[in-house]
Amino acid sequence: MTNFLQQLINGLSIGSVYALMAVGYSLVYSIMNFSNFAHGGVIMFGAYFGYFFITLYKLPFPVAFIASGLCAGILAVVIQRIAYKPLMDRKAPFLYFIISAMGVSIFLENIVVATIGPTFRTYPAIFSEIPIKIGALNIGRIDLMMFVISAICLGFLIYLIDFTKIGKAIQATAYNMKASTLMGINADRIIIIVFAVGGILAGLAGVLFGMKYTVYPQIGNITIKSFIAAVFGGLGSIKGAVIGSILLGVIETLASGYFSSQYRDLIAFALLIFILIVRPVGLMGKVTEDKA
Amino acid sequence: MDLSWYYLKGILMFAGINMIPVLGLALLTGFTGLFSFGNAAFMSIGGYTTAFMMINLGVPFIPSLLMGGIIASLGALVIGKCTLKLKGDYFCIATLGFGEALRLILDNFQYFGGARGWAGIPLKTNLTTVIVIDIIAVIIMANIVRSRHGRNMIAVREEELASQVIGINVFKTKMLSFVISAFYGGIGGGLLASYLGFLQPKMFALTKSTELIIIVIFGGLGSISGGVIGSLVLIILPELLRSFANWRLVIYGVVVVFIMIARPEGLIGGKEITFKGIYNLFKKIAKKNKKDLDTTREGGR
Amino acid sequence: MKKKALALIITGIFTLSLGLTGCGGSKKASDTVKIGWIGSLTGDQAVWGQCESNTVKMVIDDLNKNGGLLGKQVQLVPYDTRGDGTEAVNAVKRLTGQDKVIGIIGPNASGQAIPISSVLEEMKVPDIATVATNPKVTIVDGKVKPYNFRVCFIDPYQGAAAAGYAYDVLKAKNAAILYDVADDYSQGLTQFFEKTFTEKGGKIVAKEAFKTGDVDFRAPLTKIKESNPDVIFMPYFFKEVALSSKQARELGIKATLMGGDGWPSEQLISMAKDAVEGSYFVNHLDFNDPEVAGFRAKYKTAFGKDVELNGFLAYDATNMLIDAVKRANSFDPIKITAALETTNMTGITGKIIIGKDTHNPENKDAAIIKIVNGEYIFQQKYAVH
Repeated sequence: MTNFLQQLINGLSIGSVYALMAVGYSLVYSIMNFSNFAHGGVIMFGAYFGYFFITLYKLPFPVAFIASGLCAGILAVVIQRIAYKPLMDRKAPFLYFIISAMGVSIFLENIVVATIGPTFRTYPAIFSEIPIKIGALNIGRIDLMMFVISAICLGFLIYLIDFTKIGKAIQATAYNMKASTLMGINADRIIIIVFAVGGILAGLAGVLFGMKYTVYPQIGNITIKSFIAAVFGGLGSIKGAVIGSILLGVIETLASGYFSSQYRDLIAFALLIFILIVRPVGLMGKVTEDKA
Repeated sequence: MDLSWYYLKGILMFAGINMIPVLGLALLTGFTGLFSFGNAAFMSIGGYTTAFMMINLGVPFIPSLLMGGIIASLGALVIGKCTLKLKGDYFCIATLGFGEALRLILDNFQYFGGARGWAGIPLKTNLTTVIVIDIIAVIIMANIVRSRHGRNMIAVREEELASQVIGINVFKTKMLSFVISAFYGGIGGGLLASYLGFLQPKMFALTKSTELIIIVIFGGLGSISGGVIGSLVLIILPELLRSFANWRLVIYGVVVVFIMIARPEGLIGGKEITFKGIYNLFKKIAKKNKKDLDTTREGGR
Repeated sequence: MKKKALALIITGIFTLSLGLTGCGGSKKASDTVKIGWIGSLTGDQAVWGQCESNTVKMVIDDLNKNGGLLGKQVQLVPYDTRGDGTEAVNAVKRLTGQDKVIGIIGPNASGQAIPISSVLEEMKVPDIATVATNPKVTIVDGKVKPYNFRVCFIDPYQGAAAAGYAYDVLKAKNAAILYDVADDYSQGLTQFFEKTFTEKGGKIVAKEAFKTGDVDFRAPLTKIKESNPDVIFMPYFFKEVALSSKQARELGIKATLMGGDGWPSEQLISMAKDAVEGSYFVNHLDFNDPEVAGFRAKYKTAFGKDVELNGFLAYDATNMLIDAVKRANSFDPIKITAALETTNMTGITGKIIIGKDTHNPENKDAAIIKIVNGEYIFQQKYAVH
């Protein structure tokens, strides 16, 4: 039983990391209807920003944390301006967006390798390494911190979307961009806001990830898991992304613990394929009209 | 720059080998509009099948190669059944998933060497074989594209709903395209296996699928010549520019974004290079020169 | 259309070849001679590849300052393989066919070292792999590869040494293994650790795997914890070692941790600190050896970073090549290869005596290192029985 509970805790902890990553991705998808493959790169940059703010500029953790998020948000907007906006203006087919995103992602990963170098960096210990013990269970302090911070960020996001005017505007634009423009919403500005928010979340996720694990240029590759989580929960749905991520983390960990650990990624992909066949819109996805 | 023939031969072979999966992907993505991130998986199926047939069953090279293509096509039938009904984005992620899943399975499959790879594959690929197969591949591809099936694929790419209305079986068309791209991928994989004498699952990871897509885009979606020229340029050029190794991938990333923004038609631009086309181009230039001459003659009015 | 496409391809290839071969004249014989290096300058293994290439450059720069090799200056030609076997083949074709190197140092991975053997045999140029430990690099189906050499001991040896030390010296009866299923080095060490440990009478109580790139090991570790082992063997690289050891301690695992030569790095200590305190691993050398310390300091001054394990082996590999050239007294790669087969020298990783039938260093001592107070303390030399 202890084993099960411990694995459950492991799974929840991983899930909360996926959640923070998946949400930004889902947010962009809901508006632009395409998968932003560059999201992983922004997360990675977030991790590096945090690292340098803390070690080089010696900023206190909360300041560095928020600053990294903001810088990542700015980066996301810059990417949108350069790589996606020209395509949007030209009403290019969505295929082009994905390709462009892919190009950005390759660029981001390798510019770091080429300039700063691929050495792993570690965050100095911010939180104590001693785990909290509850009976025979061990809960890392960082995990608890991550869970709490993720929850706060997500809570804030949900508040933003559901209860503010801007949130309503975002929802409207996601539903039908043309119609919302007719209603007086500046679609361009909404897009910038969405990318900024998605970027900030990515940056924060990056810092947390870097703290818990390490900082290296290939962090972007982990985000494939968050893509799977977002699809699982339903592309375009924030709550879906969160639920999908937690579930993915738990299922992955339990399967890995009880079945076989080397097939962990395979299980994640199997889950993806299963969902795509059985219920492609995901757990909480909206059924959208056919793109004719 | 003085190039040794040995080295050049190696690069040409390598470009020629990669050209085949690229052509397959060009059909799938360029002509049918399906964006696959997992075609390297078909290469790996073909590669391992070819190796298995040659080493374990003692079958000669060409039949083994063909078998590789066939098994890869069968794989496509299965994968396609699951994924082709999905919309664009989802199809991308699904193929990505399948590609990575297959690689993971191979990593764990110790009989084929697992992650440590399979060494000792007989080396049967040489420049002549590659060129001959390339030529056959292009001819077949050209015929497919010109045929009714090819036109159906283009129709599906342009307007899926409308194609369905006029009676095209969209699913079957997509499946045909998918299977053919897999066959080409399998042949490419088999050639690669016999060129290196060694196979490792990580040769066919997401990076490889991404590379294939980049070449197709660069060459130009919807163009066979694009696929050919794209392969030649994007494989030969980095070889020659080896000194910039560190920045190679950075440049790739920038180039891809740039192409999407500035010239999404890629290098060739959706058209095909034909001799007639070149002839017409010359005629156009000649006509322009003649017109200039005429106006200057009449000039000074 | 078909005929035209055909014509197009043929013309295309011809034009290309003409264009490329047509330009430039031939190179005159100069007073430089070239040595090649291949490895990962980009990709996952870039940390190690870059270290190696820096080291080789350093050794050659020194050589040139002191008069060069047999009177000629040496030029290093390094190529990036991106950690990919296909790239390695292309790079070696260029080094041998185009650059006409007299020998190649590297790569650091068997996945690249194995496919290049056919090119080496065709062009008759020798290669000394640095940390490629798969037995198949030098021997396939019982036959030695005439142009492949290596300067490190092989997986069977390392895995067996770790198992032997665990059983004989640490008196461990139960062992668990956590390994990387996507890495040939890790799989190799695991295979031979298991074999030797069980042969000696020990029991493997858990064998769990992860995949390169994973950062969270708590699922397999929880399973390992349940099996209650005396030691846990972690044969992979320091980044994953740091993460997995930290997570293991977080989960309350108290067993002794053991590893192979993928462990040692300044980064391991800075990343894992207390988690790896009291752990053991098999290494090629004693870090506190004065000659070694001299090299480490020099590297740090020159490049501002700490040197990785690959650096030491690259250092020895380069010197091994230089030694062979001097003994052959020639720049003919075939003569150099023959000289390599009789190598008998001492490098900073110990004695290097190349076996003629294996092209591996024979009976190379394994050094067992223990991490005490954040320092690498040499315990003893251990030979596999």
